[in-house]
Amino acid sequence: MSRHTICKTSEVEVGLIKPVTIGRSPIILARLPSGEIRAVGGYCPHQAADLKYGCISGVTNGDTPNELTFDHAGEVLRCPWHGFEYSLVSGDPLVPAPANTKGCLRFYEVAIEGDNVIVIM
Amino acid sequence: MPLIDTDVHESFSGVRDLVPYLPEPYKSWIDGGGWRGFSQPFCYTTPGRGNRADVQNPDGSASVSDYGVMRAQLLDYHHHDYAVLTGYFYPTALKLQYGLASAMAAAYNDYVAEHWLAKDKRFLGSIQINARDPEAAAREIDRMASHPQIKQVMLAVVDDIAYGHPMYRPIFAAAERNNLSVAFHHTVFAQGPYGMGLHYMERHCLIPIALMPQVISLIVNGVFDSFPNLRFMILEGGFSWLPHVMWRLDREFRQGRVEVPWIKKLPSQHCRERLRLSTQPTEDITPDQWGKLIDLMGTDELLVFSTDYPHFDFDNPNVAIPRALSDDTREKIFWKNAAKFYELDIPASAVPSKAAE
Ligand code: FES
Repeated sequence: MSRHTICKTSEVEVGLIKPVTIGRSPIILARLPSGEIRAVGGYCPHQAADLKYGCISGVTNGDTPNELTFDHAGEVLRCPWHGFEYSLVSGDPLVPAPANTKGCLRFYEVAIEGDNVIVIM
Repeated sequence: MPLIDTDVHESFSGVRDLVPYLPEPYKSWIDGGGWRGFSQPFCYTTPGRGNRADVQNPDGSASVSDYGVMRAQLLDYHHHDYAVLTGYFYPTALKLQYGLASAMAAAYNDYVAEHWLAKDKRFLGSIQINARDPEAAAREIDRMASHPQIKQVMLAVVDDIAYGHPMYRPIFAAAERNNLSVAFHHTVFAQGPYGMGLHYMERHCLIPIALMPQVISLIVNGVFDSFPNLRFMILEGGFSWLPHVMWRLDREFRQGRVEVPWIKKLPSQHCRERLRLSTQPTEDITPDQWGKLIDLMGTDELLVFSTDYPHFDFDNPNVAIPRALSDDTREKIFWKNAAKFYELDIPASAVPSKAAE
């Protein structure tokens, strides 16, 4: 396990993806509306798209066709290629992943020290 | 391992790019803004809209037509040996003004020859035509066929053409006499039997259902038999349906040959001999399911790899075809089947060194 000081906490904003590289590993940082910061492995578990080109979204929902609700803004990461949705809260895909793929996002431990974001990997 | 990508979409920034290549009066019509080009009748819902969201210019704006971006993200990044350019500007989709549509097909072919094919020897080209004007389409095929990178004629799948109809014969005759194959690709107007559906996801699921009838139409109406040297490529239309279509055609032929005696081989034999299907989108099936599907097809020589770059549903060659398949099958899917289909040489020296990767 090594600790990497990545950036200042103010650089990680809700709704935005902050791409960083630790060694040769691409990571993306994102802030949840709760204030928590996520460090996520930079490749999509489906077909390995570079997630820094993805977007932070919310959850569309609805029980009646053509009536959409939208909430949990800032809690979902959508892949830049096929658009699979992943919860930034749990790391799980919103739709169960195909049998032959890893399925969920890879989270790295994050520590906040003062106003520094530390990723432990 | 060598890589032949059978479905790569070059583009232009808009129909005005065709102005230098158009004759009058069409040149003035397009230059004057008389038509802005096709627009899809739906809204894309993925982060990059119709494209991968990472297909960007250096300033972060979406790239619509840039050889440099394609070269960096696709050809060099994945070590392509060949990429078959398939366009996505299909003049057949223009339902009226067929003179204009035929002129735009020719202009687009000239545009692609200059702005894409000339830039990279790895590119292979498709001749765009207006199928609604079959004689003009045949002349355009004859005109473009001598270009050394041109390998096929593109037949756009729209909502009102099944290409087995006798009126399209001049197109197949021109393709065959020029030793070109024909390829079928959906358009933003392709439909299922009850229309386009009510949602983008529905429309996208219906695409294979727009391609299956083309295979049925071509075989039942004798195109395979009339043009015994012609080869047929189904692009981006799915492939797991082929066993069903072959079984159904064979069964129907046994009970209904009396009506269609011009079919001289079992339809499944026609398919196995001269029909190929591109793999993207691979639908996330498991290695076990791949194996079963290939068994049901009766051969692993029908599938050819494609990425569909730069579109959002791109297949990554490092992931899309499972490594659990045999090396022999993977080699066939990634390049051997396409090399045979398009009669391509892969430099012999490239094969062992790349196969060792
Ligand atoms: S690569 Fe991310 S959803 Fe497919």
